[in-house]
Amino acid sequence: MNAILRLSLPLTLWLAAFSAIYGLHGLLCSSRWAAVAPELPGRVLLVGATIAALALQALLLAFLRSPRWPQPDAAIRRVSMVLAVAALVGTAWTLIPALAMSHCL
Amino acid sequence: MNALRRHRALSRIWASDPGWKGWFTTVNHTDLGRMFLAVATFFFVVGGILAMLIRAQLASPRSAFLGPDHYNQIFTMHGTIMMFLFAIPFFEGLAVYLLPKMLGTRDLAFPRLTAYGFWCYVFGGSMMIFALLAGVAPDSGWFMYPPLSSTIGAPGINSDFWLIGITFVEISAIAAAVEITVTALRYRAPGMKLSQMPIFAWYALVTAVMILAGFPPLILGSILLELERAFGLPFFQVAQGGDALLWQHLFWLFGHPEVYIIFLPAAGAISTILPVMARTTLMGYGWIVAAAVSLGVLSFGLWVHHMFTTGIPHMGLAFFSAASTLVAVPTAVQIFAWIGTLWKGRPSLHLPMLWLLAFFATFVIGGLTGVMVAIVPFDWQAHDTYFIVAHLHYVLVGGFVFPMIAALYYWMPHFTGRRTYFKLGHAAFWLVVPGFHGTFLALHWAGLLGMRRRIDSYESGQGWEVINIIASISGFVMAIGFALVLIDVVVNAVVAVRGSRDPWGAGTLDWAMPTPAAPYNFASLAHVTSRDPLYDDPELPVRLARGEGYLGDPGRGRRETLAVEIATGVPRYIVVFPGNTALPVLMSAITGLFFLGMLIKAYWLVPISALGVTSCALLWVWGLGRPAPEGALPVGRGLSLHTAAEAADPPGWWGSVFLLLANGTFFGSLLFGYAFLFSIAPNWPPPAYLEPGALPLALVLAGAGLAFLGSRLGALMGHGTVLLGLLLIAGAALPVLSESPGPTLHAYDATVWVFIGYGLLHCLVGMLMWSVVMLRRLSGHSADTTLGAMRIARLWSDYTLLVALLTAAAIGLPGVLT
Repeated sequence: MNAILRLSLPLTLWLAAFSAIYGLHGLLCSSRWAAVAPELPGRVLLVGATIAALALQALLLAFLRSPRWPQPDAAIRRVSMVLAVAALVGTAWTLIPALAMSHCL
Repeated sequence: MNALRRHRALSRIWASDPGWKGWFTTVNHTDLGRMFLAVATFFFVVGGILAMLIRAQLASPRSAFLGPDHYNQIFTMHGTIMMFLFAIPFFEGLAVYLLPKMLGTRDLAFPRLTAYGFWCYVFGGSMMIFALLAGVAPDSGWFMYPPLSSTIGAPGINSDFWLIGITFVEISAIAAAVEITVTALRYRAPGMKLSQMPIFAWYALVTAVMILAGFPPLILGSILLELERAFGLPFFQVAQGGDALLWQHLFWLFGHPEVYIIFLPAAGAISTILPVMARTTLMGYGWIVAAAVSLGVLSFGLWVHHMFTTGIPHMGLAFFSAASTLVAVPTAVQIFAWIGTLWKGRPSLHLPMLWLLAFFATFVIGGLTGVMVAIVPFDWQAHDTYFIVAHLHYVLVGGFVFPMIAALYYWMPHFTGRRTYFKLGHAAFWLVVPGFHGTFLALHWAGLLGMRRRIDSYESGQGWEVINIIASISGFVMAIGFALVLIDVVVNAVVAVRGSRDPWGAGTLDWAMPTPAAPYNFASLAHVTSRDPLYDDPELPVRLARGEGYLGDPGRGRRETLAVEIATGVPRYIVVFPGNTALPVLMSAITGLFFLGMLIKAYWLVPISALGVTSCALLWVWGLGRPAPEGALPVGRGLSLHTAAEAADPPGWWGSVFLLLANGTFFGSLLFGYAFLFSIAPNWPPPAYLEPGALPLALVLAGAGLAFLGSRLGALMGHGTVLLGLLLIAGAALPVLSESPGPTLHAYDATVWVFIGYGLLHCLVGMLMWSVVMLRRLSGHSADTTLGAMRIARLWSDYTLLVALLTAAAIGLPGVLT
C-alpha cells in the first residue's frame, strides 16, 4: 500500500487542488455567492488557494524525499519523485490563470 | 510426476465444461478473454458498417440515400458502438486474456465476476443492436446532450435504450476494472516486484483505476436523465431548477478520461511489442510508468475543454486550456521513449511493426491537432465541425485501432498456437492506412471550411464536395482493408501450421507456456526476479512444465494460485478459485430483466428481478470461504502458506476497496451535481428547503454510532448491533420523505430523493452483508475463516455511515442556513 500511495498521491493532490480551485472560481462567480457576500475579495482567495496548493505540493515532494517515508524499492522511489515534481510543475502551470486572468468575465 | 501427467491432472481440474455448455459455464480467463475479443470484433464490424452508411450518405450533396431520422440513429449508434461496445470491451478482452499470463499466475482475481461482466456486456450490447434493427435506436448523438435527449427533444424510447443499455454494459467495465486492479496488485508470480511488472500490466492497472473513477459520473448522469424521462425528476429542466449543463459536466467527467482509457491499453501493447520488434528492451521503463500514471490522473482535469463554447468565464477556460496543453508532456515522454527504443534496437519490419509505424504517424498528427483544439480561440472556431471529427478519429483509430491490430498480429500465435502466415495482412495494411488518411486528413479541411458534424446532407457550392467524395472513397478502401484483416485472422487461425512457443523471441511470461494456452496457464508458478524472465532464463518454460515452480503438485485437486504482497511480490496466501458454474450467466440474465423492466416500463419486473439478483448474489458469496481453517499447506520450493479463507485481507476485501472507489466517485459526482445546481442553475433557490428537524439527525447519529461500534466488536452481538444501527439510519429517511413535496416539483427535491434512495440502498446492502456474516458464524464457520468476510462487511457499513452523515449534512444544511 505504501508503494501505491507514493505513486498516486502527488497527482491526486494536483487533481484535488485543481478541481477545488475551479469550484471556488465557480462559486465566486455565481450570482448567489455575490448576493451572500458581495464584498468578498475573490482574486485574493483564488491566489491564496493557488499558493496553498503549491505549498502542499512542495511539502509532499519534501516528504517523499525524506527518510521518514522510506521505500525499499529504488525504482518506485524514483518514479514517485518524478510524479511529485510533475505534480508541482503541473500545479504551477495549470493555476497560472488564477494570477493573470479576469476571474468572472 | 512427469510433465505430461501433470498437464493431464491440471487440465482435469481447470478445464471448462465440454461442448456448448462450456460457453455458458466457463469462468476461465482464457476462454472469456477470447469471447470478449470475438464479441467486441463483431461490434467493430457493425460500427464499421454504420460508418460506411454515413460516408455513403455524405459522399455527395443533397443525398437521398438516408433520411434524417435514420441518419441520426446511424451516426449516434456508430459512436456509441465504437466507444462502449468495441473499444472498452476489446481492451477488457485483451487484458482478461493476457494479464494473468503476463503476470505469471493462473487466472484473474474473481473468475465468476469476469463471466458475469462478459454476459452483462453481451446482453446489454444485444439490447442496443435490437434497438438498431427495430428502428428505435438512440438518435441524439453519442453524448446524448439534453434537452435533445430529454422527453422534449426525444419523446420515444430511443434515448432510453442508450441510457439503460449503456448503463447495463458499464457493469461489465466496472467488473473488469476491479478484476484487473486486484489481479495486477496481488496476483503476480512470486518474487515479481511492482517495479518488475510487465509494462502492459502497468498500463492495464492505470486504465482499470481510471475506469473505476471515470465511469461513475456517466452512470450517475444516465440514471438522473432516465429518472427525468421516466418519472419527471427535473434534473435537466431549467424551469424547475435543473440545468442541461449538468449533463455536460457529468458526461465529460467520464468522456475525457474515456479517451485515455482507450489510448492507454494501446500504449501498453505498443510498449510491449515495440522492444520485441526492435530486438531490444524498453528504454525508460520508469519514465513510461510515470507518464502512464500522469496521463491517467491529468486526464481527469480536462473535462471542461469539451465545453469551451458553453459560456464559461475566461479564467475557467484558461485553467482547462493550460491543463490540456500539459497533457501533451507525458504523451511526448512515451513517444520519445518508444523512438529511443527503436534507436537502440535493430527493428525488423514484421507486420505488427508496420502497424506500429502507422500508429506513430497517425497518433502524432492527432495529438498535434489536439493541442490546437486545446487553445480556446481555435476551439471556438473549430467546435462541432468536421475538424473535430477528423481529430478524434486520428486519436482513436491511430491511438487504439492500429496498435490493437498490431497486438492482434503479435499475439495471434499465442491465441492459435500456429505459425504466423501473414500474406493477406500486408495488403490489408496498405489499404487501411492510406484509406484512413484519405478519409480523415481530407475531413480536417471540410471542418476548416465550416462543415458541421452530424449534418445529414449539405448543399453544393460550399467547397465541400470534392473533400467528401475523396473521404467517402477512401473510407470504403479502408473498410475493405479491415475486412481483409478479419479474413486474414480467420485464415491464419484455421490453416497455418503449428508454430513454436515463443516465435518473436519475447521475454515476458506470456510466452513461457505451450500455445494455445492450457486452461491452467502454468503447470507451476515461476519465481521472478526481473522484468524479462525469459531473457534471464530461456529454460524457464521447461522447468515450469516439470513442476519446479510453486504449486506444481495438483494433489489437492482444486484450482489454486498464489496471492503476493503488493510491492515486494512475496507470496502471502493460497487462493482457491471456484469451478465452472452457470451462476454468472444466470445472474446477468436476471440483471438484464431488471434493466428491461425499466426500459419497457414494466416496473413490476424491477423488484422481482432485483430480488432474483440478490438471491444469486447470496448463493454466490455463500460458496466462498471454508468452515474451518486448514492451516499452512505446502506450495512448493519449501514454502507453506495458509489459504485466503484464513486471511484478514482476502481478495474480496481488495475487490471491495476498489469497488468502493467507484462507488465513492459516484457519490462524489452526486454531491458535485447538487453543488453545481445550487450555485449555477438559474431557478434556484427552490420554493422551500426541507427542514427535517432533530429526529432524522438523531436517528442518523445514533445509527452511525451503533454500526461503527458494533462492526468492531466482532461477536454475534456486535453483528446484531450493526444491523440495528443500519436500520436506524434507514429509518431516518421516513420523516424526511414525509416532509418532502415529492421529487418532481424542483431539482432540489429530486436530488433529495436520489440522496435518500442511494443511502437506503447502501443500508440494505450493508444489512445483507452483515446477515451473511452472522449466518456463517451461526452455521458453524470458525472466527478465523469469517474474519475476512467480517472486514469486507465492515468496509461497506463504514462507507454507508459516511454516506449517511454527508447526506444528512447536504439535505439539512441549506434549510438551517436559510
